[in-house]
Amino acid sequence: MDDLLADFVAETREMLEASGGEIVAWEADPTDKARLDTIFRFVHTVKGNCGFFDFPRLEKLSHAAEDALADCRAGRREPDAALVSAVLAIIDRISEMTDSIEAGEELSDGGDDELIAALQPGEAEVATVSAPAAQAAPTLDASAEDAPAQKAARNPGVQRSIRLPTELLDEVMKGVSDMVLARNDLARRLREAGEQPTIDGPFDRLSTILADVRSAITRMRMQRLEHLFSSLPRLVRDLSNELGKQVTVEFEGGEVELDREMVEMVRDPLTHIIRNALDHGLEGPGERIKADKHETGLLKFAARQAGNQITLVISDDGRGIDTARLAVKAVAAGIYSQSEIDEMSERRRLYLIFEPGLSTADAVSAVSGRGVGMDVVRANIERVGGSIDVTSKPGEGTSFHLKLPLTLSIIAALTVGSGGQRYAIPRSYVEEIVFGSSDHVEFAQAGERRLVTFRGMRVPCLALGEILGTETNAEVVWESKTLVLVRLASNDVFALAVDRVFDHEDVVVKPIAPAIMETGFYAGTTLLDDGRPMMLLDLPSIAQKHHLANEMRSATRVVEEDTVEERKTHPIMLFTGLDGRRRAVRLDLVRRIDTIARDAIDIEGTRTQAVIDGEIFSLVGLEYGELPEEKCRLLRLSDGDCEVVYAVREVLDAAEMDGEIVPSSADPHVEGVALIGGQPVPVIDGHALFANHRKPNAHARPVSCRLPSDSDWARTILEPLVAAAGYKVSTDKDEETDVAIELVESETPLAARARHVIRLRSDPEADGSGNDSIYRYDREGLLDALKQARMGKTA
Amino acid sequence: MNELLLMCLIAGRRAAIPAAEVQSVIEIDEITPIPGVAPFILGLTALRSQALTVIDCQVALGFDSRQDVRGQRAAVVQVDGHPYALLVDAAYDVGEARSEPIAVPGGFGAGWQTAARGMVETDGGPTLIIDVEALVSGPIARAA
Repeated sequence: MDDLLADFVAETREMLEASGGEIVAWEADPTDKARLDTIFRFVHTVKGNCGFFDFPRLEKLSHAAEDALADCRAGRREPDAALVSAVLAIIDRISEMTDSIEAGEELSDGGDDELIAALQPGEAEVATVSAPAAQAAPTLDASAEDAPAQKAARNPGVQRSIRLPTELLDEVMKGVSDMVLARNDLARRLREAGEQPTIDGPFDRLSTILADVRSAITRMRMQRLEHLFSSLPRLVRDLSNELGKQVTVEFEGGEVELDREMVEMVRDPLTHIIRNALDHGLEGPGERIKADKHETGLLKFAARQAGNQITLVISDDGRGIDTARLAVKAVAAGIYSQSEIDEMSERRRLYLIFEPGLSTADAVSAVSGRGVGMDVVRANIERVGGSIDVTSKPGEGTSFHLKLPLTLSIIAALTVGSGGQRYAIPRSYVEEIVFGSSDHVEFAQAGERRLVTFRGMRVPCLALGEILGTETNAEVVWESKTLVLVRLASNDVFALAVDRVFDHEDVVVKPIAPAIMETGFYAGTTLLDDGRPMMLLDLPSIAQKHHLANEMRSATRVVEEDTVEERKTHPIMLFTGLDGRRRAVRLDLVRRIDTIARDAIDIEGTRTQAVIDGEIFSLVGLEYGELPEEKCRLLRLSDGDCEVVYAVREVLDAAEMDGEIVPSSADPHVEGVALIGGQPVPVIDGHALFANHRKPNAHARPVSCRLPSDSDWARTILEPLVAAAGYKVSTDKDEETDVAIELVESETPLAARARHVIRLRSDPEADGSGNDSIYRYDREGLLDALKQARMGKTA
Repeated sequence: MNELLLMCLIAGRRAAIPAAEVQSVIEIDEITPIPGVAPFILGLTALRSQALTVIDCQVALGFDSRQDVRGQRAAVVQVDGHPYALLVDAAYDVGEARSEPIAVPGGFGAGWQTAARGMVETDGGPTLIIDVEALVSGPIARAA
């Protein structure tokens, strides 16, 4: 159902409920002025609303009631019992009609005129119990009898809505956030206390429920884009009339949902884009016919959700953006020199429309070109964590691509360390991360400014410790830092040197006190998993403070064009293996790079594992050589739901493959050989890697296995084995599981059903009572039985 | 009825924060320092899912800071929607003001003059009422 209509129904119902008491009170004392006013307001509002929605019957009824009540208010008529019951009958009818509007059905005709007639003062005089009212009553009763039955039948299909203050939602949201923190705290303590099956189970369930509640509450804050779209046709109509153009508007993806606040944030930028499209983009009817186009222009809005992002494309079929004119304007405005413009690619010239102080309109019209340009639109979109892009074809049209995060308050961030503390950087600014110790990173000093040269571009470099005043320039050991390449909205790039890069995280950002805002370093605060606060860095403001915002345009221009073209090839990461040879891995597989101490790696026989941040990973890549003595550098690779770590001597660079991989079957660990910068480099085979080292318990839903709860042997010896085979172990004897293991000697009967039962005996020889039991230390036999049980489950 | 006040000790002097403004009194555990901020802001501390800005009242009043603040009490207040923890030497009971706030001839002394709304009589003797808003904006903002 239309959102507006739902609002109307909700509002009417709300008023009905609120005025319920008033109506009864008014009936008791028809001369009560205050009650009369309340009821008058109610019918008046309903009348106003249904005029808007085109419900003629509802309007007629409420109008009649309003007239009669207005007479009473003006003193032209004394309210009496007959009038009261006539008005009440109308209010009842309004309530019924509201129900059927909600259900999207027509209410059976008839009865309206009688109800209206009953309002006439003359009718009331004819008889104390007015005849028409009595006549109307049976029809009402009949429908009232039907109504509950119909209601029950149609209610499942109808979504009822209520209205809530946003503050209440925020409060609930905050409560859930608190709960998540408490849960994290509890989780940490449980981990410290060791495994406790009786607590871990319910705790996991609690975690799942909490996650569900959290996402449900996030959904509560969502609003369909329809809401925003519904106001646009009117805007377009008014503007096109003003400009003498004909425009049709098309919408797609109105059902996409977005945070309410985000909807409000994009309203203004969207309005601006529409103004621009109508004013500059779309031609007048005459010009369009000349250009062999339909005389009516088309403005199209398409929204799509992709992960936690929304893309909104606004396209017109107008004349497109005249980049030559943009360039002339840019030169005239002194933003760029002619030679700079000449060097630019077409795409880069298109981006000129986001430069401050540019407007393609020759004459300032009433509609656009008022000085608020696309630079402001872009800044506003980026302020909420989104991005804007433009494509245009001369004579065919222009499209603006808006990418918006789903919510305002949660942003994707990179957490970095400096001076023993963690800070968050919005991920949208992060271009690349490189180690200061890599071979192709060179530092240079120009006056007091530190510069870093990386892959052919030289950018200024700032140490976070220096910015925040915890370190002085002289102290900084640049080679030990990790460099985060930051690209600002203005396209300026600089390198931020931090002690460590921790992780990608989605963080909930809260505002900070004005006194902290004053520093210009921070944009907000967020809480880490363990409840400690962490500051979110305000990179644009930091760059501005260090005068980096406009310094190196020439550097950025080159990068801009490079990245646009580069993205079409396969990116890979180059490294040297433990044997010192260069190898490569597809960059998509690399989740992050870790450096850990040698003693966090455990090797025993063929089992090799590494511990990173309290998690155990399979370690591979050891076949090429010995691990270094102290620090080991590891690539953490992920296939989406399972991770392994790959030991390397050094991480070299991210690069692009020239052409295809030439397959090779000589080495099973290698997918093939790729040409990188003219040199052959073996690329490790991600498929083989994960096929060999995938953790067995990474199943979508673990198969459960119940063990006898009263046996110490089962708990201490059997359970680890079963868990290692990828089963979720349960000792709750009432739980239904996929497999159950029971001991032959045990007297405890099976309480709950299991799809498979494996029986274990303590005697190595079968006792002849049946050949379905397995000796308890027959490892092969037991694993085989478990495997068969699993096959049975998946089959 | 007389105004209710949270009696506390700031920079070794008796002071009071209007109880209506105080949401709770907490014990400071861990403070995350924020590099680059004015010295009267000690950092952030977490109270459930909220991050409180910790204000060292002593520094905000223009006195030297003390070293270890762990375990000290702080009053949680909200100014313009931002939560703050006002670090005090000690927090006592809630008491009643026995008089209207008045000025004292000659003032209360440099730092106090701007951050205090006046002096009131309480059961414990004369006490200065803290102007929370002035306090959280810090000495720099007030000097300007």
